[in-house]
Amino acid sequence: MTRSAFLVTYSVWKALFLREAVSRLRAERAAWVWLLLEPVIHIASLMVVFTLFRMRTVGGIDTAVWLMVGMLAFFMFNRTATRSMNAISANKALFAYRQVKPVDTVLVRISLEGFLMILIAIILFSGGSLFGLDINPANPLAILVGFFGLWLLGAALGLIASVVVELVREAGKIIEYLAKPVYVLSGAIFPIAAVPHPYQGWLMFNPVVHGLEAVRLGFAPHYHAIPELSIGYLYGCALITLFFGLSLHQYFRIRLITQ
Amino acid sequence: MIILDNVYKRYQTDHGPGKWILQGVSLAIPEKINVGLIGRNGAGKSTLLRLIGGVDQPNRGRIERLCRVSWPMGFGGGLQNSLTGRQNTKFVCRIHGHEEDLQDRIAQIQDFSELGDAFDEPVRTYSSGMRSRLQFALSLAIDFDTYISDEITSVGDAAFRQKAAAAFKNLAGRASLIMVSHGEAVLKQFCTAGIVLQGGQVCWFDNIEDALRVYKESLPT
Repeated sequence: MTRSAFLVTYSVWKALFLREAVSRLRAERAAWVWLLLEPVIHIASLMVVFTLFRMRTVGGIDTAVWLMVGMLAFFMFNRTATRSMNAISANKALFAYRQVKPVDTVLVRISLEGFLMILIAIILFSGGSLFGLDINPANPLAILVGFFGLWLLGAALGLIASVVVELVREAGKIIEYLAKPVYVLSGAIFPIAAVPHPYQGWLMFNPVVHGLEAVRLGFAPHYHAIPELSIGYLYGCALITLFFGLSLHQYFRIRLITQ
Repeated sequence: MIILDNVYKRYQTDHGPGKWILQGVSLAIPEKINVGLIGRNGAGKSTLLRLIGGVDQPNRGRIERLCRVSWPMGFGGGLQNSLTGRQNTKFVCRIHGHEEDLQDRIAQIQDFSELGDAFDEPVRTYSSGMRSRLQFALSLAIDFDTYISDEITSVGDAAFRQKAAAAFKNLAGRASLIMVSHGEAVLKQFCTAGIVLQGGQVCWFDNIEDALRVYKESLPT
């Protein structure tokens, strides 16, 4: 009895997904609480700062909504990218089984993070509206398109980084440092629209900015988004890097499991 | 049938590529024959087994597996430390396509490994003997044509060793075995053919006795 290649891969993905989910949610005491709490802490602490500056609205929408939507969208990108980056080294032991390929572990982490972030976003948005925040998904399709684009970009960068980290061990630290400014420069903690020209134009090269603004616009159609906003640019960047990331995995597929 | 065609292997060290472990190994291992792999410490026995099992890749040459080959039993990999024995078992059964009869297989593995309550504890709390027992039970519960065993017969206590030997005996007829062992008695007990590994080259013997004799003659006195 031989199983088809598709069936083998499917069973590997399923098994990996379940196992990753268990270790992500049960690895330490109340690991799932931290999963929820991390974005909440970011949102709450920035909320304090904005309140001190007496900024009640940003770009015409409530500061809390602006922060929450932007932060969750940013986490969708960031968590997907950073978690999948370390997928290969975390699952080294499993390459003892020939059917488990390095790319499988990365793809599974990407899907798991996307899945978890959707749940987290739903929980936090519902929680927010219970506390009286004006969270109204006016254009659900635009929100989904924005979130999906950010997830895709995170996935693509995760795929690339996972190979680079395996081939050059020191690269992990460098990538970590490079990733830090992205948090600041993505428009998650201050409005890009407030940045003067020509610097604003430079920041718009960052595709994450486009995703965040698009998601905010989906929640509040009256939001003053940046005029240059282009969801096509986000998807263009994501697909090109995705192609590059998958090619890297294909090219180095033997190298990645050679010791 | 497992075919190795001009296989070269060396490991990457911290200061560039290391020295060649295997140099141009060409070999065809037929089915239904138990083979013992003999060689001195560091001769590359485990390396060869890992290449055959597909855990590692050769630098040059080609390895073809024309039958279902197990992963090397007893080399310590394949278990995730943070997960319990049961969770690891489920994973291995799932990736080998045993979704339907998952519970039966788990019961079988739990029973054979004799881990008791420790089966539901994280693998990181296991002693090395317990780990090997779990690995041994895992590979036996999956159907392969050829099992690869790296010193597995020397793990566990006397009772478990006997059980392992009996399990190996049961395999005869259903599947074959490629094993590494330093115990002459063990090799004679299980294997009919032998491979002697020396200086990165292999030599095939149809009879394990001949292989052992040649190996012993090669040892410095």
